[in-house]
Amino acid sequence: MRTRITLLLVALLLIAVPASAQQLFDFLGQTVVPGDVGGMLNMDSVVRDPAPATTPIPLDFANYEYTLVVRDLVLDIDGSPQVYSGGMLVIYEDNTTVADHANPATFSDGTAILIGAITTLNRTMFTATLGSAAGWVDWTGGTRLDDIAPADQLGWPFLTGISRHDGNVEAGYDEQWDGKVEPEEPIVEVTPMSWGSVKALLY
Amino acid sequence: MRKSLPFLAMVLVVVFAMPAFGQLSSIDYFGYAWETGGFPPSNAGDVLVFTGVADFADPIFGVDLATEELTFYMYDLVSAGEVDIGGGVLMINYTGGWLEIYRDAAMNADWGIAPPNPTSPSTFIDGTLYFQGSFNSLTVFLNPGGDGAYEGSLDGIGGEMIDSVCADCVFTWGGNFVGASGAQIPDGYDLQIDGVFQIEQAVPTEGTTWGSVKALFN
Repeated sequence: MRTRITLLLVALLLIAVPASAQQLFDFLGQTVVPGDVGGMLNMDSVVRDPAPATTPIPLDFANYEYTLVVRDLVLDIDGSPQVYSGGMLVIYEDNTTVADHANPATFSDGTAILIGAITTLNRTMFTATLGSAAGWVDWTGGTRLDDIAPADQLGWPFLTGISRHDGNVEAGYDEQWDGKVEPEEPIVEVTPMSWGSVKALLY
Repeated sequence: MRKSLPFLAMVLVVVFAMPAFGQLSSIDYFGYAWETGGFPPSNAGDVLVFTGVADFADPIFGVDLATEELTFYMYDLVSAGEVDIGGGVLMINYTGGWLEIYRDAAMNADWGIAPPNPTSPSTFIDGTLYFQGSFNSLTVFLNPGGDGAYEGSLDGIGGEMIDSVCADCVFTWGGNFVGASGAQIPDGYDLQIDGVFQIEQAVPTEGTTWGSVKALFN
């Protein structure tokens, strides 16, 4: 029995299909930035289908809308760059309400498929209206967390461009953020197969 | 008098065309770029090239990304070299350069590796020329960590979008980028780029009556 389980594990490793396309969650959204140290940054965004690249886990863009939000990211140091920590990043799947910046609640309804901790984020403004932010995310929860192997759940780069141009900023927000979250290397997609199918591959 | 009324109406439409919050029409794109000699550093005379795809377009553009792709080809941007602007941030201005956007039902965009290669830029410049513009400016800001942001503006000079969406607009091009430490970048490319292409002057207009206009001044 122990041998069979070992063989099954080996077989699953063998059948793990390396992903070749670039993988990312590409988002475009709006952000509220704190005015003082200790204040919190929040972002509401929509995730788009990045074809011909792929999302790190399969998403059904034909039938669902995917939103990505940042919540309660705390401003620790107000300099250049600003340094943030302690926030949460969540990706929601929803097919009942259309995301609308006039109603921020429409970004955080539905099923939380991935929940992550933002370990740190630096926000730099190069001009009055142009900047960027870079941080790191560790995935810790959500209904699809198990789609990502434990070894692949940590240390995903979060990068975004920042525009404070009036024409880009929705009422009630301070900035437009256009960015992505992605693993540094393509994560391996596992294809579950029956033992019979595995044996069939070897004969 | 009859002639002057239409003229006044046109003037009023112009006067009352006001930019609103979040009203710029946008195409969201991402892709990969390379520069002769690599990036960084960006030495004077190096040439920047980018190929990318759109993953969102405002309805005004009339493109269904489920059935066709919008692909981007930015080329011939010549670096003026790096300038240290403090805090470890480098600024790079580029001169010249062109941006072309193609609309293509083949949906065959493929970056491949080691560009230029048999699929890049060729699969990004097939289909119908949707937009062609010449850069007025492009400025890149590079953080010490290898990421950064950029912005520039273009004059539209050709493509079907010029006729169908906006003929006299200024177009802006901005976003962020990162090197190999923060992204999955195909071999031979230097940067992942994620940004928006926007119509800067496509602003909503507010219709109003002559009486309402006079009331504003009384």
